[in-house]
Amino acid sequence: MKIGIPRALLYYRYGIFWETFFQELGHETVISPRTNKDILTKGEQLSIDENCLSTKLFFGHVATLEGKCDYCFVPRIANLGDAGRFCSRFEALPDMCKNMFRNADLRILRANIDPEQHVSAKRAYLKLGMQLGASREKALAAYEAGMAAQMESFRKKAEINHTLLKKEGIKVLVASHPYNLYDEYIGAPIIKSIRNLDAVPICSDGIDPREARRKAADIAKHVPWVVSRELLGAIQTYRDKIDGIVLITAFPCGPDSMVNEMIIRRISHVPILNLLLDSQDGNAGIDTRLESFIDIIRFRKEVEL
Amino acid sequence: MKKAYLGIDIGSISTKGVIIDEEHNILASVYLWTEGNPLGASKKVIRELASQIDLNEWTVVAAGTTGSARKLVGAMCNASIVKNEITAHAVGTTTLHPDVRTILEIGGQDSKIICVEDGVAVDYAMNTLCAAGTGSFLTSQARRLGVDVEEFGKIALGSKNPTPIAARCTVFAESDLVHKIQMGHKKEDIIAGLCNAVANNYLNNIGKGKKILPPIVFQGGVSKNEGVVRAFADSLGEEIIVDENGHLMGCYGAAILAHGSGIERPFSFDVAEMEFVTREVICENCPNHCEIICVYRDGELIDSWGNRCERGEVRS
Repeated sequence: MKIGIPRALLYYRYGIFWETFFQELGHETVISPRTNKDILTKGEQLSIDENCLSTKLFFGHVATLEGKCDYCFVPRIANLGDAGRFCSRFEALPDMCKNMFRNADLRILRANIDPEQHVSAKRAYLKLGMQLGASREKALAAYEAGMAAQMESFRKKAEINHTLLKKEGIKVLVASHPYNLYDEYIGAPIIKSIRNLDAVPICSDGIDPREARRKAADIAKHVPWVVSRELLGAIQTYRDKIDGIVLITAFPCGPDSMVNEMIIRRISHVPILNLLLDSQDGNAGIDTRLESFIDIIRFRKEVEL
Repeated sequence: MKKAYLGIDIGSISTKGVIIDEEHNILASVYLWTEGNPLGASKKVIRELASQIDLNEWTVVAAGTTGSARKLVGAMCNASIVKNEITAHAVGTTTLHPDVRTILEIGGQDSKIICVEDGVAVDYAMNTLCAAGTGSFLTSQARRLGVDVEEFGKIALGSKNPTPIAARCTVFAESDLVHKIQMGHKKEDIIAGLCNAVANNYLNNIGKGKKILPPIVFQGGVSKNEGVVRAFADSLGEEIIVDENGHLMGCYGAAILAHGSGIERPFSFDVAEMEFVTREVICENCPNHCEIICVYRDGELIDSWGNRCERGEVRS
């Protein structure tokens, strides 16, 4: 069977797991292409206006999979138990997609992960595997292969950051959710611009998530969201090793609106640039802000020398 | 012939230009409205600057541009340096006021704060892409009240009882304003309330988490509004310095940066008489459909930008 996976939101966290899991079960996976203008426009048309830019992009990505797969995989991942919750929009994704694409040539493949309701990821994926016709053993093996691939990818990302931190020059922590960091229409152009300005961008997700969540408590103890905790953990880990922080928010993100505000107030010794992105096409405002931000860091370093 | 440096700051509302000598003394300066035509306004600025200096005595060896149309005008006048307005303002202001610690700036579209230590900018913040609380907000409210925005400051100073206005969002501010007018608040009180709202909004947003230390310099178009100056002084409990050349700080900084760049490029005042045309091309090479801007001088392509990748590069 061909299983479609939208290249958006949690794909940037669990994509490797999903691909490995489905392939181990003997299925083919189809990933939607990198975000382009058509995907953005389609996502905006499909979505209600109150969704964040990243969620709108998700729907655009689902739309590109129409007619290209037997099932499109849209899981409901509500929380990770004690590690925290995900944004409530993520919980609604399967229902929103089902409704949005009810007349389309697209069948939604669901999974429900909700440890707070005693449905662990493992239990959910075993159920999904068996639903797709695999034996319990085969499903378990696929789950474990997926987890191993996932761990390996976390490790690789951490290794990259480790090397980047050793580099000479101005180091900037680009702090955002992975689905913003790597999207062609959100984080990718920003990371590219930072590089063009001769600074070293370091992504906030290149740190072991468990360790990041533990460190987050040093900045704030009661943040409900997994992704926000990990972002805080990255800032806490890197704060003395970097020259500046660029926060990227896709408008209107509820968790970010609270967490970023707190970061700006509590992290006072590192310059912080807060970028709020909507679907505007002009990059001028962003470029001006990045260029001046790097200039200021450069001036500051010259004084310190 | 003595060396001179030219700086132009092309903002959304106004275009400013200066010519300075090697000691950074201002030889000529111009300030006029952009009127939605950055190329035309820049030509006018260049023409007027030329009329203010003796071209037999001075030769412009480098030009710098800043402001939102810096790239476009930079291509037009073969600039040595094209710099963002924050850096340009910081450089300009710290040259004229070496002891400044905080620069507050509210322009037509942008507002920013720059923190300075030992004459060097060390931190800054800028508004998000929303223009609430900037010059264009005051202009639109002035129109609603039937008052010239230039009169705002004077009228505000006459108020003894400023009306509180919610000015966090321009749209909400408008409805609050209309409500207050209909309730019978006096015009001068409402105007003073707006000026207070602009200052407080700025301090709560842009200034959040920043140490605002004196001496404080306030610049940008809104610094000409005495009502906002007084509101800042009251809120911060400090003297607010408004330089009479405050509006020139961006172009002054751009000229200094052009000097400091060490790149000397021939600049001709004749560009003011040449024809510059821009054309928008949509790249059809992929679904991104990038909008590429091409700049032509007398029919010849001199620069282009706006493409996300090399497939959209336009060659002459």
